[in-house]
Amino acid sequence: MSEIYEQPLFGIFITILAFQLSKIIARKFKFAVFNPVLLSVVSIICFLVIFKIDFESYNIGGQYLGFLLGPTVVALGVLFYEKYEQIKANILPFVSAVFLGGTLSIISVSTIAIVLGAPEFILKSIAPKSVTTPIAVEISKIIGGVPYITAGIVIAVGIFGNAFGPAILRALGIKNKNAIGAALGTASHGIGTARALDEGKLPGAYGGLAMCINGFLTAIFTPYIINIVLTLFA
Amino acid sequence: MFKGVLYLFLFLVFGEIIVHLFNLSIAGSIVGMVAIFIALKLKVIKLNDVKPASDQFIKYMVLFFVPYGVGLMTFYDILKMHWIAIVISTVLSTIITLYVTAIILQKFGKDE
Repeated sequence: MSEIYEQPLFGIFITILAFQLSKIIARKFKFAVFNPVLLSVVSIICFLVIFKIDFESYNIGGQYLGFLLGPTVVALGVLFYEKYEQIKANILPFVSAVFLGGTLSIISVSTIAIVLGAPEFILKSIAPKSVTTPIAVEISKIIGGVPYITAGIVIAVGIFGNAFGPAILRALGIKNKNAIGAALGTASHGIGTARALDEGKLPGAYGGLAMCINGFLTAIFTPYIINIVLTLFA
Repeated sequence: MFKGVLYLFLFLVFGEIIVHLFNLSIAGSIVGMVAIFIALKLKVIKLNDVKPASDQFIKYMVLFFVPYGVGLMTFYDILKMHWIAIVISTVLSTIITLYVTAIILQKFGKDE
């Protein structure tokens, strides 16, 4: 007889439960570390470790939720269409900024990691660190990274950008709110964009669009950039 | 709402087929994302038909990637070995990305 936790229901149920509880806690403590995703992930891991349940058993159900990231990426195309109208006037400098920022993200993270001695699969897992999780996971699978490591790092980068992004940018002399929004969306995807919305509606739109454009660019260029970095440094 | 869900899956299937036919090294969902944007721009499909569904998917997106985050637990030993390289490279790279994007837009963007 299979254990109760070896049914799809188990993984789906504890994920939804943990997420709902995390949202309640996150609402009480308005600080970036109390992010609902981080809290859910940490609490589920603790639960599985305490009750000695394998990730594989959990993922019997978990994979159904993960599968929904596919249509979510398509939904981002709809979001992009909506926001596109709002920033038409600034489209050229905006796309250039996201393009350069996004490209430098892949180049810098993989170069620094390889110089510090990280193996190839780590490099490939963290290369798409700045793009939204559904896209990052797809990129990681295609270039030979580990999607679980990718997801963890992407979430961490999002929380870092959300918590410290605006303060870092202001310390570096950035005053323009739309520029702050675009930077948060490019460097730390949806979780960063949530913070861009605190700066205002338009900075929030810049963040959302930057997230979509960078996701698309990163999906196209990462395999090539990784190959170049590997031939240069490995 | 249901029509919107159908559209999202339709474009996802379309993306997967394109990737398969042309042997592309890109995810089918990303091809679908671009295709649905073009379809909306060319008015092949209406925003109002797909928006109710796409908004829901985006709203609950974070729930969908929780299982991937949990999967990190199986790589505990590997992460313990390489955490310094991972932390330094991601933090520095994130600051570089933030700054470069912001400075370009601040210098060359128009204020609205």
